[in-house]
Amino acid sequence: MYPQSPAVVPTTSAGAGPDERMTAVAAVDLVKVYGTGDTAVRALDGVTVGFTRAQFTAIMGPSGSGKSTLMHCLAGLDKATSGRAMLGGTDLTVQPDKVLTKVRRERIGFVFQSFNLLPQLTAEQNITLPLDLAGRTAERGLLAHLSEVLGLTGRLSHRPSELSGGQQQRVALARALVSRPEVVFADEPTGNLDSRSGAEVLSFLRNSVRDLGQTIVMVTHDPGAAAYADRVVLLADGRIAGEIDRPDRAAVTEALQSLGSHQ
Amino acid sequence: MSVLRTQLAGAARRPSRLLLTGLAVLVASFVVYATVLARDITKATVLDGLSGTPAAVDLAVGSSPDGPSALVTTADLAKLKALPGVAEAVGRVEAGGDVGGQYLSVVADPGSGPLSTVHVTQGAYPSASGEVAVTPRTADRMGLPIGSTVSMTTGWDDDGKPTKHAKVKVVGIVEASADYGFSAYAPQSAVTTLSGENTLQQVDLRLNPGTDLDSVRAAAENLIAAAPAPKDGMERPKVSTGADIRHQEAQNAVSELDEIFIAVGMFVAIAVVAAALVATSTFRIVFAQRMRQLALLRAVGAGRGSLWRALAVEGAVIGFVVGTVGVAGALAVGHAVPPLLRAFDIDVASPGVPLLPALGVVLLSTVITVLAVLAPAFTAAKVAPLEALRAASTTAGRKDIGKLRAAFGILLALLAGLSAAFVVMNLPGRDTKDYDPSSMLLTTVASGALAFFALMALGPVLVRPVLATVGWPLRRLGPLGRLAVGGVGGAPRRAAAVSVVVALGVTLIAGVVVTGASVRVLADREMATSVPADYELAANGDERVPAAVLEQAKASPDLTHVTPYRRLPAVKAGSAEPTLQASDLDMKALPTLSKIDVTDGSLAGIGPGKVALGGFATDVTGLGVGDTVTLAVGKKKLQVQVVATLPDSGPLQSDVLADPADLTKLGAPATASGLLADAAKAGEDGRTAGQKAMQQLAQGRTGLGVEVLADQRDEANAVLNGVLAVVIGLIGLTVLIAVVGVGTTTALSVVERVRESGLLRAVGLSRGGLRSMLTAESSLYGVIGATIGVLLGVPYAWLFLKALGVNAPLELPIGQLVGVFAALVLFTALAGVLPARRAAKVSPVAALATD
Repeated sequence: MYPQSPAVVPTTSAGAGPDERMTAVAAVDLVKVYGTGDTAVRALDGVTVGFTRAQFTAIMGPSGSGKSTLMHCLAGLDKATSGRAMLGGTDLTVQPDKVLTKVRRERIGFVFQSFNLLPQLTAEQNITLPLDLAGRTAERGLLAHLSEVLGLTGRLSHRPSELSGGQQQRVALARALVSRPEVVFADEPTGNLDSRSGAEVLSFLRNSVRDLGQTIVMVTHDPGAAAYADRVVLLADGRIAGEIDRPDRAAVTEALQSLGSHQ
Repeated sequence: MSVLRTQLAGAARRPSRLLLTGLAVLVASFVVYATVLARDITKATVLDGLSGTPAAVDLAVGSSPDGPSALVTTADLAKLKALPGVAEAVGRVEAGGDVGGQYLSVVADPGSGPLSTVHVTQGAYPSASGEVAVTPRTADRMGLPIGSTVSMTTGWDDDGKPTKHAKVKVVGIVEASADYGFSAYAPQSAVTTLSGENTLQQVDLRLNPGTDLDSVRAAAENLIAAAPAPKDGMERPKVSTGADIRHQEAQNAVSELDEIFIAVGMFVAIAVVAAALVATSTFRIVFAQRMRQLALLRAVGAGRGSLWRALAVEGAVIGFVVGTVGVAGALAVGHAVPPLLRAFDIDVASPGVPLLPALGVVLLSTVITVLAVLAPAFTAAKVAPLEALRAASTTAGRKDIGKLRAAFGILLALLAGLSAAFVVMNLPGRDTKDYDPSSMLLTTVASGALAFFALMALGPVLVRPVLATVGWPLRRLGPLGRLAVGGVGGAPRRAAAVSVVVALGVTLIAGVVVTGASVRVLADREMATSVPADYELAANGDERVPAAVLEQAKASPDLTHVTPYRRLPAVKAGSAEPTLQASDLDMKALPTLSKIDVTDGSLAGIGPGKVALGGFATDVTGLGVGDTVTLAVGKKKLQVQVVATLPDSGPLQSDVLADPADLTKLGAPATASGLLADAAKAGEDGRTAGQKAMQQLAQGRTGLGVEVLADQRDEANAVLNGVLAVVIGLIGLTVLIAVVGVGTTTALSVVERVRESGLLRAVGLSRGGLRSMLTAESSLYGVIGATIGVLLGVPYAWLFLKALGVNAPLELPIGQLVGVFAALVLFTALAGVLPARRAAKVSPVAALATD
């Protein structure tokens, strides 16, 4: 489908800036420092990157490159030290906790490595939890569609302990998508899954971009998983180290290796 | 030993966790040692304020304590006074008489000097015969201000006719250690003149400084022995040292205290048991959270036994530390409170530092904690080494109970039910004459204890249905409520363990509240008969209350509900032999009368030709409601129908309560035999004003006596209220420990579920929302416990009341029970506030990152 050979392309200069209309979420000169004095660690060291609407982007990089921190800052889970984290037109770095809570509830969906379902709720209650918290009701059609596509139709009344890992992660996917968020952030969503379940999850993410126009940002260090994305953003030492359009497994692996050898 | 070192190092690294684990035991140690100190304080305070023999008394001549009464005379006093070495000799004696229908006691006292027990606050101490000083309350109540002179009746003949009178002038007001409102003081010579007898109760001697006590004592004994032997039944007086007498008095005062503190100790013991239960539950949670670490120790080669021992030693260390902290805290409070109270003019002695009890409490705390840790440690040590390698860190824990435990619990519940059924089968009827309550009461208590143990065993199974019921309204409130209910239901064993302790406290309180309410109604009923009004003005013998007095009473602004009544003393009912007393007291006129209980029928039915009969009347006539009978006084006869029967005699000791018209037909005079009235205003001032108004009615008229019935009622009410307050306060200790347990459990659950909190925050739960959810979870423990407690406490209290065999009504004080319930829910919610705040502060990222 994409004949040209993918290659590591240098990042666009900071001055170019993300396009507001096309960009769902963006970081502008984002800096995050943990600790103070001698023990201070610059987890993000001036990151500027945009994530296009209705696109599946993977963030990759070696351990400690700052990819999770970047995602946390963009999702309003963590406060950046300086710079801007833009969701639509909102700068999340300057919002109070109350606004961030509302943003997370209404405009962002999460998928975690360890599923993070609430054991005391049924699958359906877990799925609709963000909506319940917002005092909204789920769109029946969307809920039915998601349950069907994710193969959960017969399992909605089960509790997480009665579901397999793959099923639990699919419940988590439905939870992230049911509120029609502007962006879904996925943090190593296949990390705890066997390869078949992992492939199912990734295909679903891929399809939701195509079918629902969903914007997805996924942190992973599995080149195979990254190959499902439209674009891969590479991170090293808290900085953007390049990106790959229309990646395949080989290109991603090669890029990661070259990142490793530079260090 | 290295395992132990690892554990202890872990405990030392987080001292706050250590304190949290042992918090309940800490509170229990505090309470136990505080009780020891309170006993010290009370003892010292009682001894300081003892209104007994003054400290200056060196020797006392009189009856030996507990011995037969001895005769001391004024002649003895004169001889004792003359003994060499005696500085002062004071005769103790009391006389008394009737002043305006009330008894006034006149006590001999020197009025000044070291042997005096009073001090003058106004006027002067009487010096001449016929003068007295009164206490402030006496001056108020009996209308005896300084300068007033009253006539006092001091002697009566065999028919009760007054024969001796004395004029008494009030010259001063004195403060005494106790003021009952009918006490006057005068020098011994004046009291002897008043009584006209030369006997004394005791002679107190004060010696010159430097005099040899033993030689004076020997001289006094010789003097007594030389005197002629007293008349029949009286002994020669004994000579005792003041120190011995004071010691004896102190012993008597304190022995009662010891009995009280034994009762207090029982309640403290229940609180200690509650603390042990809480500690057990806490250890279970803490060990479950450390499962991975324990498994790791097992994986690297720690034996099961050494792990178990290490955990047990950890428990001992915690017990020792919290015991010491508790004792130190109690000591600090115990020594800080008395000076503080003294600053507010409340005289309270300071406790010492009882070392042995302190060591005992620390030992107790250590032992309890070790006992509490044994079972959890044993379970924890069984962890498979493989657990360490499991990725999931959830400590889901078991939700069910083992078959053995279930069987044991059901057996206990069956036994509790059977023993309760046995009591129900053997309950007395209305007639409780041949009923012995002690065995039934014991069976009831045993059944209650069995039910509680069954609850402990079956708790985890019971939590779910109870939660489903009580959690229903909360779940309707929205996702937060659903999450809170789910959070508690997710760990039913934990919820059961802490709720059961709450239930223990609530069961006891609900029981006391229900019993108290029933006993109060019972007491009110009996009081309504014996104390139908605040005051009674009664005519003696054949006298009548003049109509003018009645008008005066009705006009008085200090009196209300003024109700005259007439009495017919000898009414024959049918052919029954004993005569009955009839009265026409209007049963609707006094509010108190509405509380009177009937066996059958209704008092509202009393009217012309319709009467109510008291218990004695129904016994002798065999009549019941609906029967007719002929009442006769002399030749006058009247046929009446019985419309109500009473369990005991009616008000004013009436056997027949009839309509005024019927009493007139039977020949009763038109004027009243007496009148009843209530104070118009509430409080002590209203009471005194009413009493004065009543006395004015009687003043200057012969044959009229005033009685303050309300004092009886107040006293009974005060005693009941006091007992209830003290008992509830003592049960409050158990409730306090239960609430501490809820707080600890919530705090530990929050630590364990930090991931869950993080997730909820990540998917959009606000900080306030998370706080509310966790606080609601905490209060749910209270709701579950209080529900079980009320469900258990009320029926057992009813059974207890029935088994008492006193025909007490079964009251359900809904308001008070709702109050107890609400208080418990509030306290347990408050216990969760702090942990909830801490959990809400953690950032979602940190929470999600925690493994």
